[in-house]
Amino acid sequence: MNTSQTSIRDILYEPPGVKTKRMIQVFTVLSFIAVMLLIYVAVRQFYITGQLDARYWYFFAKPTTWIFLGEGLAGTLEAAVVAGFISFGLAFLMMLGRINNIRAFQAIARALIEFTRGVPTLLLVYFFFLVVPQYGITLAPLWRISLPVAISASGIVAEVLRSGINAVPNGQREAAMSLGMKESHTFLKVVFPQAFRYVIPSLIAELVIVVKDTTFAYVVNFPDLMQNAKVLISNYNAMLPVYLVVAVIYIIINYLLNKASVYAASRTDSTTNTAAS
Amino acid sequence: MSAEELLNQYGNEYVQALFTTWKLTAISFSAAFVIGIIVTVMRVSPIKPLNAAGEFYIQVFRNISGTALLMLVVYALPYINVVLSYFSCVLVVTILIPSAFCSEYIMSGMNTIGRGQFEAARALGLTFMQIIYRIVLPQSLRASVLPLTNLAVSTMLTTALASQVPMKPTDLTGIVSYINTHAVGGVTAFVISAMMYLATALFIGWVGNRIDQKVRILR
Amino acid sequence: MDHKADVIIELKQVNKFFGEHHVLKDINLSVKKGEVVVIIGPSGSGKSTLCRTINRLETIDGGEILIDGEEMPSEGKKLAEMRAKVGMVFQSFNLLAHRTILDNVTLAPIDVLHKPKKEAQAEAMQLLKRVGVDSQAAKVPAQLSGGQQQRVAIARALAMHPEVILFDEPTSALDPEMINEVLDVMTSLAKDGMTMLVVTHEMNFARRVANRVIFMEDGAILEENTPEAFFANPKTERAKAFLETVTVH
Repeated sequence: MNTSQTSIRDILYEPPGVKTKRMIQVFTVLSFIAVMLLIYVAVRQFYITGQLDARYWYFFAKPTTWIFLGEGLAGTLEAAVVAGFISFGLAFLMMLGRINNIRAFQAIARALIEFTRGVPTLLLVYFFFLVVPQYGITLAPLWRISLPVAISASGIVAEVLRSGINAVPNGQREAAMSLGMKESHTFLKVVFPQAFRYVIPSLIAELVIVVKDTTFAYVVNFPDLMQNAKVLISNYNAMLPVYLVVAVIYIIINYLLNKASVYAASRTDSTTNTAAS
Repeated sequence: MSAEELLNQYGNEYVQALFTTWKLTAISFSAAFVIGIIVTVMRVSPIKPLNAAGEFYIQVFRNISGTALLMLVVYALPYINVVLSYFSCVLVVTILIPSAFCSEYIMSGMNTIGRGQFEAARALGLTFMQIIYRIVLPQSLRASVLPLTNLAVSTMLTTALASQVPMKPTDLTGIVSYINTHAVGGVTAFVISAMMYLATALFIGWVGNRIDQKVRILR
Repeated sequence: MDHKADVIIELKQVNKFFGEHHVLKDINLSVKKGEVVVIIGPSGSGKSTLCRTINRLETIDGGEILIDGEEMPSEGKKLAEMRAKVGMVFQSFNLLAHRTILDNVTLAPIDVLHKPKKEAQAEAMQLLKRVGVDSQAAKVPAQLSGGQQQRVAIARALAMHPEVILFDEPTSALDPEMINEVLDVMTSLAKDGMTMLVVTHEMNFARRVANRVIFMEDGAILEENTPEAFFANPKTERAKAFLETVTVH
């Protein structure tokens, strides 16, 4: 029997009898009609409001449109990657504080983690956009968006890293120490690389949050996908189509990132399994 | 500006902003919870079109960015004659996105229930609906208390999107931008809001942990 | 004496497939009131599957299964009502993880038999006492040892006043020192006249308690006899071979 493929559905339901089978068929047809009706109503609404007119959509056939959106997407990815790296650095420091033996460091790290997890990204964006300049510090738009997004994600990333550290068997550390390696050396060369490998799936999943948060870039005038979309809208006077397309692009990117995370998780699972057997 | 001056001048606005954030969070989380359960039922039902619709819903709303969705609802929907108040627009976003995550958490809570318990319940003569009420709902909800606590916090964070629409009274994030465009609020205006968010988040976390300790299932 | 009226479980020409795999081959079997029937055989012989088809935890692809002369309905309330007449004890106990021991025993009497809560609880306490775990009533399953959990599972089955109890390898998941506490409870049930169908690897239990032993291999019943006759003088080569492997242990 194939137990690895069992879904919750197989466990919830018994093999249907005649009556149940008929009921499932009836509801399948009914719900199919309902879904189709919903789609019909939505498309019809677009149609009667004239939103399906060619003038709202023709520019998506022009390569320049996609190049421009592509540039915006590149900006989004640039901000996301920069934020990702900063976030990882901050998270690493917080994680060190958390696993440290010194009480004061632990307390500071915990406070920072709680802070980053309890305060909205947008508030941090406003901090870097409105408050920081009041103290005479001017940051480039890239930093105005990347820093708050990075700080916002760092607390969760720190906890993810810590869970990875905890997952590394203690024997590994002890073995390395008994070979005469120093504590810090052991941590960096033996413990952390393994911990990192464990948490790759979670880190990829965390990128989804980072990508989503970079949409606040328009607040600070950084040219990301959203910002370029606004330019397109003013050029072609096509609010609904552009926002719809942009939303779909975000959904696809994050969907792919989530898939990558699941794939990475299945790979780490299989490698740890083969290592164990 | 010192904290005292700031609170003297904007104290009322801060209280209103705090209540707005609380209100948005409470409404959104409750509604997201209800929708999350409905979507979960669709996803686990033996009816294919409902499975597909549920799965589509989840993928759309867990992957869309809050801003993109808000822009669609506020600025684009009026073009197809769907006009909502600013407050409702924000609610649509802060309900739909968390509801997708809610369903994901309840699903994984459901997966913690051992298959054998279903068989035992069947063997005892419990009907399908009795199994749902006696086993599936209580166990999957209890197992998802902590994820749902985190979801409540992230719902609160999502409500900061309210600052992106001209809403009166504004929320805890909107007030920082409001004060800083009217006066030089400096870091204080920011810190006050941050502390109010933080206190709310810690309170939600505390409540969630208390509930979890009470209902956690030993395995 | 009316022979038919005494039969509680009757299987006629039962066949079952898992995909290509023919797991039950033309099974004919009947269990009479007050009888203890023990099914033995190597793992993968289909004995567990056979046990699970009786209350339709597994569906069958051919033949008939009658409980008290009635065929098991395939779905709905009727199926649930019939299942309530047949108790079952599983290898992995399968107690509800989120309810107390007492709740585990009272749940079905209250929900299925619609007994008043007080009455159900009083009876449950008696049953828990009978299996020796009444002092654990307020705990949850995870706080109990495997042996204790299995005894609770037996009390849970008894609370429904079943006409027969199916035991699907009840001691296979237990540590050796806990096996006897469960077998003792089962033995005393048998002495009290409970009708039982037991799938097990415990040959001593089969020898001492069974009225009839059934030997299965490759999805078919190869032998059916009194325990004395079967263990002293198995008729088939395969039963002989099987008994040799188990007596080694």
